[in-house]
Amino acid sequence: MMELEALQEIHSQVSGLGAQIVVLTPELERYTRALHNKLNLTYEILTDLHLKTAEQFRLVFVLPDYLRDLYKSFGKTLDRFHDEREYRLPMPARYVIDKEGIIRAADVNADYTIRPEPSEIVRQLRALTIRLGRTGDSIRGGKQGGECHANTSR
Amino acid sequence: MAGLQERLDEFKKAFESGAPPYNAPHEAIERMHRATAELKASGLEDGALKVGDRAPSFTLFNQDHVPVASTDLLREGPLVVGFFRGHW
Repeated sequence: MMELEALQEIHSQVSGLGAQIVVLTPELERYTRALHNKLNLTYEILTDLHLKTAEQFRLVFVLPDYLRDLYKSFGKTLDRFHDEREYRLPMPARYVIDKEGIIRAADVNADYTIRPEPSEIVRQLRALTIRLGRTGDSIRGGKQGGECHANTSR
Repeated sequence: MAGLQERLDEFKKAFESGAPPYNAPHEAIERMHRATAELKASGLEDGALKVGDRAPSFTLFNQDHVPVASTDLLREGPLVVGFFRGHW
Protein backbone atom coordinates (compact mmCIF):
# COMPACT_ATOMS: atom_id res chain seq x y z
CA MET A 1 0.00 0.00 0.00
CA MET A 2 2.73 2.43 1.03
CA GLU A 3 4.69 1.30 -1.97
CA LEU A 4 1.78 2.08 -4.31
CA GLU A 5 1.48 5.55 -2.81
CA ALA A 6 5.20 6.12 -3.15
CA LEU A 7 5.05 5.10 -6.84
CA GLN A 8 2.17 7.52 -7.29
CA GLU A 9 4.35 10.32 -5.94
CA ILE A 10 6.90 9.82 -8.74
CA HIS A 11 4.43 9.08 -11.53
CA SER A 12 4.52 12.54 -13.10
CA GLN A 13 8.33 12.51 -13.10
CA VAL A 14 8.30 9.07 -14.73
CA SER A 15 5.84 10.27 -17.38
CA GLY A 16 8.04 13.29 -17.97
CA LEU A 17 10.86 10.91 -18.86
CA GLY A 18 8.65 9.20 -21.43
CA ALA A 19 8.19 6.07 -19.34
CA GLN A 20 5.17 4.33 -17.84
CA ILE A 21 4.44 2.47 -14.62
CA VAL A 22 2.31 -0.63 -14.18
CA VAL A 23 1.86 -2.64 -11.02
CA LEU A 24 1.03 -6.35 -11.21
CA THR A 25 -0.80 -8.16 -8.43
CA PRO A 26 -2.46 -11.58 -8.19
CA GLU A 27 -5.60 -9.92 -6.82
CA LEU A 28 -8.84 -10.06 -8.77
CA GLU A 29 -10.18 -6.97 -10.50
CA ARG A 30 -12.80 -6.18 -7.89
CA TYR A 31 -9.95 -5.57 -5.43
CA THR A 32 -7.68 -3.70 -7.83
CA ARG A 33 -10.56 -1.43 -8.78
CA ALA A 34 -11.30 -0.59 -5.15
CA LEU A 35 -7.64 0.03 -4.41
CA HIS A 36 -7.14 2.14 -7.53
CA ASN A 37 -10.05 4.36 -6.50
CA LYS A 38 -9.08 4.54 -2.86
CA LEU A 39 -5.51 5.65 -3.57
CA ASN A 40 -6.43 7.85 -6.56
CA LEU A 41 -3.78 6.21 -8.69
CA THR A 42 -2.98 7.56 -12.14
CA TYR A 43 -1.06 4.46 -13.25
CA GLU A 44 -2.68 1.10 -13.83
CA ILE A 45 -2.89 -1.94 -11.62
CA LEU A 46 -3.01 -5.15 -13.62
CA THR A 47 -4.41 -8.45 -12.39
CA ASP A 48 -1.76 -11.10 -12.85
CA LEU A 49 -4.30 -13.89 -12.62
CA HIS A 50 -2.89 -17.01 -10.99
CA LEU A 51 0.54 -15.36 -10.97
CA LYS A 52 1.29 -16.36 -14.55
CA THR A 53 3.54 -13.37 -15.22
CA ALA A 54 5.16 -13.36 -11.77
CA GLU A 55 6.08 -17.00 -12.45
CA GLN A 56 7.83 -15.97 -15.66
CA PHE A 57 9.82 -13.39 -13.70
CA ARG A 58 10.50 -16.26 -11.23
CA LEU A 59 9.17 -14.39 -8.22
CA VAL A 60 6.57 -16.81 -6.89
CA PHE A 61 6.69 -18.55 -3.53
CA VAL A 62 4.17 -20.47 -1.45
CA LEU A 63 3.26 -19.07 1.92
CA PRO A 64 4.20 -21.62 4.62
CA ASP A 65 1.33 -23.36 6.44
CA TYR A 66 2.00 -21.64 9.75
CA LEU A 67 1.68 -18.22 8.13
CA ARG A 68 -1.29 -19.21 6.02
CA ASP A 69 -3.17 -20.18 9.19
CA LEU A 70 -2.23 -16.93 10.83
CA TYR A 71 -3.38 -14.84 7.87
CA LYS A 72 -6.64 -16.77 7.70
CA SER A 73 -7.25 -16.04 11.38
CA PHE A 74 -6.82 -12.32 10.55
CA GLY A 75 -9.37 -12.62 7.74
CA LYS A 76 -6.67 -12.33 5.07
CA THR A 77 -8.19 -14.90 2.81
CA LEU A 78 -5.85 -14.96 -0.13
CA ASP A 79 -7.78 -17.80 -1.75
CA ARG A 80 -10.68 -15.40 -2.15
CA PHE A 81 -8.57 -12.41 -3.19
CA HIS A 82 -6.66 -14.44 -5.81
CA ASP A 83 -9.13 -17.13 -6.84
CA GLU A 84 -6.81 -19.92 -5.84
CA ARG A 85 -6.20 -22.06 -2.78
CA GLU A 86 -2.47 -22.34 -2.85
CA TYR A 87 -1.57 -19.12 -1.05
CA ARG A 88 1.19 -18.23 -3.48
CA LEU A 89 2.57 -14.71 -3.59
CA PRO A 90 5.10 -12.75 -5.65
CA MET A 91 8.23 -11.53 -3.92
CA PRO A 92 8.14 -7.73 -3.91
CA ALA A 93 10.02 -6.60 -7.00
CA ARG A 94 10.56 -3.64 -9.27
CA TYR A 95 11.92 -3.72 -12.78
CA VAL A 96 12.87 -1.06 -15.29
CA ILE A 97 12.53 -2.42 -18.81
CA ASP A 98 13.88 -0.61 -21.86
CA LYS A 99 12.06 -0.21 -25.17
CA GLU A 100 13.75 -3.31 -26.52
CA GLY A 101 12.25 -5.37 -23.70
CA ILE A 102 15.53 -5.81 -21.82
CA ILE A 103 15.63 -5.45 -18.03
CA ARG A 104 17.85 -2.48 -17.14
CA ALA A 105 17.26 -2.32 -13.39
CA ALA A 106 15.99 -4.95 -10.99
CA ASP A 107 15.21 -4.97 -7.32
CA VAL A 108 13.91 -8.13 -5.68
CA ASN A 109 13.78 -8.70 -1.95
CA ALA A 110 12.39 -11.68 -0.07
CA ASP A 111 11.92 -9.37 2.90
CA TYR A 112 8.82 -7.37 2.06
CA THR A 113 9.58 -4.80 4.76
CA ILE A 114 12.61 -3.53 2.85
CA ARG A 115 11.92 -1.53 -0.30
CA PRO A 116 14.09 0.79 -2.37
CA GLU A 117 13.08 4.43 -2.63
CA PRO A 118 11.03 5.18 -5.76
CA SER A 119 13.42 8.06 -6.48
CA GLU A 120 15.83 5.28 -7.52
CA ILE A 121 13.52 4.56 -10.45
CA VAL A 122 13.70 8.16 -11.60
CA ARG A 123 17.48 8.01 -11.41
CA GLN A 124 17.57 4.74 -13.34
CA LEU A 125 15.24 6.07 -16.03
CA ARG A 126 17.35 9.21 -16.40
CA ALA A 127 20.45 7.07 -16.84
CA LEU A 128 18.62 5.04 -19.46
CA THR A 129 17.47 8.15 -21.33
CA ILE A 130 20.99 9.58 -21.34
CA ARG A 131 22.42 6.32 -22.67
CA LEU A 132 19.74 6.23 -25.33
CA GLY A 133 20.63 9.75 -26.37
CA ARG A 134 24.29 8.84 -26.61
CA THR A 135 24.01 5.57 -28.48
CA GLY A 136 21.10 6.14 -30.81
CA ASP A 137 17.75 4.47 -30.69
CA SER A 138 18.84 1.03 -29.63
CA ILE A 139 20.93 -0.14 -26.73
CA ARG A 140 20.16 -3.79 -27.11
CA GLY A 141 23.10 -5.98 -26.21
CA GLY A 142 25.00 -3.16 -24.51
CA LYS A 143 26.92 -4.60 -21.61
CA GLN A 144 27.75 -1.25 -20.12
CA GLY A 145 24.12 -0.66 -19.17
CA GLY A 146 22.20 -1.78 -16.17
CA GLU A 147 21.74 -1.03 -12.58
CA CYS A 148 21.39 -3.98 -10.30
CA HIS A 149 20.03 -3.47 -6.85
CA ALA A 150 18.85 -6.98 -6.18
CA ASN A 151 19.47 -7.62 -2.53
CA THR A 152 20.65 -11.11 -3.13
CA SER A 153 23.61 -11.17 -0.82
CA ARG A 154 21.97 -10.17 2.44
CA MET B 1 7.80 13.95 3.07
CA ALA B 2 9.42 10.92 4.66
CA GLY B 3 10.97 8.38 2.33
CA LEU B 4 9.27 5.05 1.63
CA GLN B 5 11.64 3.00 3.79
CA GLU B 6 11.22 5.42 6.65
CA ARG B 7 7.45 5.05 6.42
CA LEU B 8 7.73 1.27 6.27
CA ASP B 9 10.02 1.24 9.28
CA GLU B 10 7.61 3.37 11.29
CA PHE B 11 4.76 1.03 10.46
CA LYS B 12 6.83 -2.04 11.33
CA LYS B 13 7.82 -0.54 14.66
CA ALA B 14 4.21 0.28 15.54
CA PHE B 15 3.00 -3.15 14.41
CA GLU B 16 5.67 -5.11 16.22
CA SER B 17 5.19 -3.18 19.46
CA GLY B 18 2.06 -5.26 20.00
CA ALA B 19 0.22 -2.11 21.00
CA PRO B 20 -3.03 -0.73 19.54
CA PRO B 21 -4.26 -0.22 16.90
CA TYR B 22 -2.68 -3.44 15.57
CA ASN B 23 -2.47 -5.45 18.80
CA ALA B 24 -0.25 -7.98 17.04
CA PRO B 25 0.45 -10.98 19.28
CA HIS B 26 4.11 -11.75 19.88
CA GLU B 27 3.62 -15.24 18.47
CA ALA B 28 2.24 -13.84 15.20
CA ILE B 29 5.24 -11.57 14.77
CA GLU B 30 7.55 -14.55 15.39
CA ARG B 31 5.84 -16.50 12.61
CA MET B 32 6.23 -13.60 10.19
CA HIS B 33 9.92 -13.27 10.99
CA ARG B 34 10.42 -17.00 10.58
CA ALA B 35 8.73 -17.02 7.18
CA THR B 36 10.80 -14.10 5.92
CA ALA B 37 14.02 -15.68 7.18
CA GLU B 38 13.16 -18.98 5.51
CA LEU B 39 12.33 -17.31 2.21
CA LYS B 40 15.56 -15.34 2.39
CA ALA B 41 17.52 -18.53 3.10
CA SER B 42 15.81 -20.40 0.24
CA GLY B 43 17.79 -18.35 -2.27
CA LEU B 44 14.68 -17.73 -4.36
CA GLU B 45 15.77 -14.12 -4.86
CA ASP B 46 18.83 -15.30 -6.77
CA GLY B 47 16.67 -17.09 -9.31
CA ALA B 48 14.52 -14.07 -10.22
CA LEU B 49 15.04 -12.35 -13.56
CA LYS B 50 17.95 -9.93 -13.54
CA VAL B 51 19.48 -7.00 -15.37
CA GLY B 52 20.25 -7.98 -18.93
CA ASP B 53 17.49 -10.61 -19.13
CA ARG B 54 14.69 -10.23 -21.60
CA ALA B 55 11.47 -9.33 -19.79
CA PRO B 56 8.55 -11.68 -20.50
CA SER B 57 5.74 -9.94 -22.35
CA PHE B 58 2.26 -9.95 -20.84
CA THR B 59 -1.30 -8.94 -21.58
CA LEU B 60 -3.37 -8.50 -18.43
CA PHE B 61 -6.61 -6.81 -17.42
CA ASN B 62 -6.38 -3.47 -15.65
CA GLN B 63 -8.67 -2.29 -12.85
CA ASP B 64 -11.34 -1.35 -15.41
CA HIS B 65 -11.23 -4.72 -17.19
CA VAL B 66 -9.34 -3.29 -20.16
CA PRO B 67 -6.58 -5.56 -21.50
CA VAL B 68 -3.13 -3.96 -21.34
CA ALA B 69 -0.25 -5.40 -23.39
CA SER B 70 3.33 -4.79 -22.35
CA THR B 71 4.40 -4.73 -26.00
CA ASP B 72 2.06 -1.77 -26.62
CA LEU B 73 3.44 0.09 -23.59
CA LEU B 74 7.06 -0.56 -24.63
CA ARG B 75 6.43 0.92 -28.06
CA GLU B 76 6.02 4.27 -26.29
CA GLY B 77 9.05 4.08 -24.02
CA PRO B 78 10.64 2.34 -21.04
CA LEU B 79 8.39 0.54 -18.60
CA VAL B 80 8.51 0.31 -14.83
CA VAL B 81 6.94 -2.92 -13.59
CA GLY B 82 6.17 -3.38 -9.91
CA PHE B 83 4.97 -6.59 -8.27
CA PHE B 84 2.57 -6.10 -5.38
CA ARG B 85 1.23 -8.83 -3.11
CA GLY B 86 -2.11 -7.22 -2.39
CA HIS B 87 -4.28 -4.73 -0.58
CA TRP B 88 -4.52 -6.74 2.68
